[in-house]
This record gives sequence, structure tokens and C-alpha cells, in this order.
Amino acid sequence: MYGWAGQRLRVDLSSGKITKEPLSYEYRRKWMGGRGFNSDIIYNEVPPHLDPFDPRARVCFGVGPVSGTAAPSTGRVTVTCKSPLTGGFGDSNMGGHWGAELKYAGYDQIVVQGRAKNPVYIWIDDDKVEIRDARHLWGKFPREADQMIKEELGDEDIHMMLIGPAGENMVRFACTFNDVWRAAGRTGTGGVIGSKNLKGIATRGSGTVKIANPKAMMDVCNRLRQVFKNDPMKIGLNVYGSLCLINVANRDGWFPWRNFQGGAHPLANNMSGETHAKTVLKHREGCFACPIGCGRFTHIKEGKWAGEEFGGPEYEHAVPTGPRVGILEDANDIWHNARLTNDYGMDGIETGAVISAAMEWYEKGLITTKETGGLELEWGNEEVVDKLIPMIATRQGFGAILAEGGDRAADKLGLGDEGHYYTITTRGMSLPGDDPRGLGFGYGLSFAMGTRGGCDHLRSLCCLELSGALYPGLNTKILGDERPNKPVTTVGKPYMVYYEENQKTTTDCLQVCCFTTHWSYAVLTPDQVEYLNAVTGLEFTEEEFQEIGERIINLERAYWARLMSGAREDVVPERFTKEPMPQGVDYQTNVGVVFPLSEMLKKYYKYRDYEPGTGFPSERKLKQLGLDYVAKDLAPLRSKYLSESEKKKKKYYY
Amino acid sequence: MSNGKALMYNQEKCTGCRSCVVGCSLYHDGECGKVTSRVAVVRNERFGESFVVGCDMCTDAPCAAVCPTGACAMDTTAGITKINAEKCIGCKECAMACPFGVINMHYKTGKAFKCDLCEGRDAGPVCADWCPSGAITYASPNIALKAKRRTKLMERLEAAKAGEEG
Repeated sequence: MYGWAGQRLRVDLSSGKITKEPLSYEYRRKWMGGRGFNSDIIYNEVPPHLDPFDPRARVCFGVGPVSGTAAPSTGRVTVTCKSPLTGGFGDSNMGGHWGAELKYAGYDQIVVQGRAKNPVYIWIDDDKVEIRDARHLWGKFPREADQMIKEELGDEDIHMMLIGPAGENMVRFACTFNDVWRAAGRTGTGGVIGSKNLKGIATRGSGTVKIANPKAMMDVCNRLRQVFKNDPMKIGLNVYGSLCLINVANRDGWFPWRNFQGGAHPLANNMSGETHAKTVLKHREGCFACPIGCGRFTHIKEGKWAGEEFGGPEYEHAVPTGPRVGILEDANDIWHNARLTNDYGMDGIETGAVISAAMEWYEKGLITTKETGGLELEWGNEEVVDKLIPMIATRQGFGAILAEGGDRAADKLGLGDEGHYYTITTRGMSLPGDDPRGLGFGYGLSFAMGTRGGCDHLRSLCCLELSGALYPGLNTKILGDERPNKPVTTVGKPYMVYYEENQKTTTDCLQVCCFTTHWSYAVLTPDQVEYLNAVTGLEFTEEEFQEIGERIINLERAYWARLMSGAREDVVPERFTKEPMPQGVDYQTNVGVVFPLSEMLKKYYKYRDYEPGTGFPSERKLKQLGLDYVAKDLAPLRSKYLSESEKKKKKYYY
Repeated sequence: MSNGKALMYNQEKCTGCRSCVVGCSLYHDGECGKVTSRVAVVRNERFGESFVVGCDMCTDAPCAAVCPTGACAMDTTAGITKINAEKCIGCKECAMACPFGVINMHYKTGKAFKCDLCEGRDAGPVCADWCPSGAITYASPNIALKAKRRTKLMERLEAAKAGEEG
């Protein structure tokens, strides 16, 4: 078989049963790979009202048809489960080298179910799969566990997936790592893995990926790798990492200062990629087959945290426990906090988001030191943040409340609507460090519409509006109109989000990195079709790519619909629609902007063919996409969603 | 040396991405994998370290010296050591003798294989061509060493200057 390995590995940790299931041609053609395979399993095998931590719940790891090949950046893995944070559909993907290793071992997907009696890890040595004792690894940081497993198995060159202490303690936003530092951060996949008593999956793959047409593959890869050499976004990402965004974000006013109270700050350059490269950068890191190399490895040289080392940070990893909680004066504090969330194994975004929400509750007098157990949650108080991160990971004191995520914490503390106003979430998941009032209205729309908890920058990654101006003519080529290349406009944005969501979905099915296709636009859909066809020997078309993307988006959307989540929940936090952007620095470009969601939503629904009242995928669309069984599932729910008893906007589900 | 050029490896620049590895295996075997690559990457993820190892085309090649059949020998026209698969008996002596561990046994044929500088490829060896970080370059050693001398000297001068100012 070309491209795909052609089999799924299923491990039931309750019974210890290990099975390998073939993936048929029709199945692969319908769902393509990675995210598609995973979403299909979650929809069919995890009932919508099951507790995400129930042993019957599944967690899936998927790679795609081009994983492990010479196409640009083919090391990614999608981790999918029912999200313990939102209670809805959840997935997250990560770079590194584990994805390629998994493919070389001969698997397209791993599905883990059940719960082991004691902590275990899975050892995949090509065909041989075994479940091994991990009691001695429990409580260890990923980098410690990585070392111990490699020593135990006697091979330093293997790659593995691991969780940290937060995952073991089922923190609702714990993440999943591979290669020690590369995180599938969002939606709390690590907690689900921890709930199964699974510490990690070590893998050695000694196979190869067969290529149907090597010459064609060589040609397209030669061409794309040349393109990358001069690509403007590649250069920025390679030299400064994703922190290259800091100064841009500050100029355009989407730098998340104090829980989005502001969008720019005079000290932003303290933590910019430029400053990072000059002061603490130890090494640049590349994921598998990556022509970009945006990964960082940081070594703190001065101050209280001197000597600390860790992989990262990224823009989205650094800003939440930095400026979002008001820390900006000493960048070493920010790097240190990023190191902490990494070691404990928590989503940096959600960690910073819940702490910043708590700080705003504290500022507004909704909570006092009585609730926080004496912690003075003042903006920029590094001492408190340094204490609080481990407390969240180990669920101690006030940390145990925050470990539940912002919206659940607001309810536990009884803070009412005002408390929820400051959590900056939709569908229970916090927005990343991007303010749609500056980053762009397309992003804002996709925060409202994302299928993994509503609010994420990676669902559409509509960089056509962010980096579009760096590629003149690109918007016209893709959308037929150049005007959408400006962030703060609604023109053309509904179609942009519709297109980019579909595109991003197939990119996630191929399991290649979206920095090659959306940030940098060096690889466009025709290129992806070309390399996929060269690898598989099949005749995929651009239209089929869009259709597969659309099918998966609709399936994921239907998962939410089965939870009674639809049009009412298609919102962004009110801060963005009500509060005009204040001035932070004198060169800021978006002062006074508010985010206009409603005018874009209607048009977007039309492109998607979502039912206007419920916001559910229409029956016509579902049938057209070959999802008749989904249409049947949703049929009785449509009127129920509109009935009085259901008419309350929900924050999270299960 | 072929065309007077050689593959040069700069470990400080290697990001460990293995673009060289997939390119090498695709070019030579028409499939992608680490086991069929002539160049290898060693990674220490915990410490953020990566190293690339490839054939250095030794002038006095230990692999050729130990080959019992003459399969592994210096090709005097090309000026590089090559393995003739027809003559190779798969004894692994060359793989054991290589000081860098970059001769491997092919999983399909059981015979030894090594770097051939992508003979016949117009753009030169694929590993250097695809390397995104400049860790692998295909250049004349003399020119590369001259550049290295200059860079290192400048770095030292800069450091000394900074020391005086500080």
C-alpha cells in the first residue's frame, strides 16, 4: 500500500486486548487520515453524554497518508477525544517526530480505550505491541519520564508521546506531549489519557513509507523546498520563532494585555522574538521534515531562574502566563512560567487564561483572599503565578478550582454572569492570546465557529488576512478578491473562514504543518493535491479536498449539535463586541475597534448551509457529504433545540 | 574529491528536522524512511540538541580497506568511495569499520549501502540541497574553511570589543 500504513491499532487498557484493524480503501478515501479518522471514531464510539473521563471514552492518535514522507513538515499527530474541558468535541495536534515514527512502525491511527488498573505505558516496537508498568514514571515530568523510558528500553533514538503530572491528575486542560516538548495543548487531551492510567506511548518504527510515484514526488518536493528558501514567513519563523509575532501583535493591537483589557503595551519588545534570540535562545529546533524550523530551545541565563532550560516557547505558549496575567517587565519570568506549564504538562493558553480571569475577578472584587486561600491575585504578581501553576497541576487549594477551567471555576465560586464575562471563552474553552479586534475579523468569526470548543485560532487559521499582505495577489488567487487581506474589515471574511476551515481540515488529515500552508503560503492546495497523489498513486482533486474538509467539519459540528449546542453558542466573549479597543501605545493601529460578529455570521451560515434557527448542519448538506446517518441522528434534535426548555446558552457540556 | 566539493556538516546549525534523511531515502530508494537513508540525525530532545552525521568521504577510507571483495572501493574517476552492490556479499565489515556509523545494510537486499553524493543529480546531493538551516553544505572544503576562519575570527573580535565596552 502506498502512503497509508493501512491499519489502526486499538488498545483496550481494561482488558489488555490489543487489536489491529485494517482500514479499507473507501474509508481512507472518505476520511483521508489523522484528524478525519479520529473525528469519525469519536463521533461513532463516544456517545455525546458520556463523561470524558469514563473508561469507555476513547482517545485517538492519528497520522496521515503523507506522514513520514519528504513533503514539507510531515511529523504531526492529531490527538482527539471528548474534551473534559468543554464536554464537547476536542482535538489538538502536535509536531515533533513521533508521528513519522508511528507511521514507520506501521500504523495510521491508535485508539486507546478502557482504564488500566495501575499506571502503564505502551511500547510499540513495529509489529510488537506491549503494555508495560509505569508506576515508577507516575508523577514525573515528561523530560524525566522520557529519559527513564529510553534507558529502560535501551534505545535513545525512539520517539514517544507522554503526559505530565497535570494529565495524571486529570486537570481539565492538561496536554499531550511528544519528543518531550511538542504539545498537543488544547481541549484537555492529557487529562483523558491520564484518566486511563496511561503515561505514554513509546515507539520504534523501522519501516518506510512506500511512494507510488517517486519521481513525481521528488519533483514536487524539490520545487517546494526551493520555494521555502526565500519565503518571507519562513524566514521570520526560523529566525525568531512564533515569537516573531509579538511586535506585530503590539502594533496591530492584539497583544493580550491583562485578560484582553488592552491590546498593546510599551514593554512588549521585552518578550519579542528579537529579544529572545539575543538573550536566551540556545538552539533552533525542527519537527520532522520541516523546512521552517520555528522550534526554540531556551536557556535562561540571568536572574532568579538562571540555569532553567526547556523546549519552547511559542507565541501562544508564552503570552498567557506573561502579558495576559500582567507580567511583562522581566521576560525571564515569562520564560520560567512557560517552562512550568511545560513540565507540569498543562495547556499554557488555558492556564494563563484561568489565572488571568481569576485576577480580573479579584480586581473587580468578585473574589477575595478568602476564596483564593490567601493568594493575592494582583496583575503581574509573578510570585503568585509561580505558586499557582503547580497548585493547579496537582489540584491543591485554589488551584483545584482553577484546574476545572474558567467557566466551571466561575460556577463553583458562584460568580454568576459577571464572573463568566471575564472568562473569555466560548463553548467552555478559552481564547488564545489573539484579540479579534486587532488580529482580524476572520479570526474572530472562526473563534465563534470553531468545532473544538468554539474558540481557537487553529480551526481556520485564516492567515490570508494576517500574512496576506506579504503575498500580493494571493487573496485574489484563492478568494477572488484582494480586499480581505486587511485584518480589520468584514469584507470577504465569511467566505475566507469557510474556505480556510475546509483547507485547514484537510491539512490536518494529511498531518502536515499548517505553518507551511497558512502562515507561510508556500504550499497551496494544488501542491498538496500533487504530493498526495504522488505518494498514494490516486487521483485526488482540489474539489475532493474541499469536500473532505467540509465533511469532517460537519461531522464535528454535529457532535456539538447532539449536545444541544448550536446557533445560540456561536458567539465570542462580549468583551470583544462591547468594549472598544483602548490605546496602549501611540503607534497602535486599531484604537476604538469593536468586533462585529453578527453581520458575518449570517453569510457564513449560508456558505456552510447551516440551518438558520438551530445552526445545525442542514439535512441536505449532510446527505450530500455522505453523512446520512448523521442526518438521522440530528433529525429529532432540531425542534428540541428550539424548544423553551433548552433555551439557555450553555457554557460547557457532558 | 568529486569536483573538488565535499559534504560539510555544521552541527551548530542542525535543527534535527531530518529533511536530509527523507530526501536521501526518496532519491535513492523511491520510498521514505530513516532506515534507507545514507545520512542520519541524532537528537537529544531533552537538551534541545541535534546532530547530523553523513559520509565524510575519507581519503583513507576504512570501509574500503576492510572490504573483502573490492565492492567498497574508491572510484578513481569520481574521486569518491562507492559500494558496488553486485560485488557486495553483505558481510557488514564496512559498516563496522566506518568511524561515523553511516554505512547501513539495506532491509530489502541485505547489502551495504552508503552515500554516493547523489551521483547524477544536477543540483548536487539532496541532503545539502534541502537542508533548511545550512547545517549541510556541499562546497569546496578550501572555500568553506576560508569562510569559517573569517567568521570565527570576527566572532572573537566582536567578543573582545564587547568586553572592552562592557
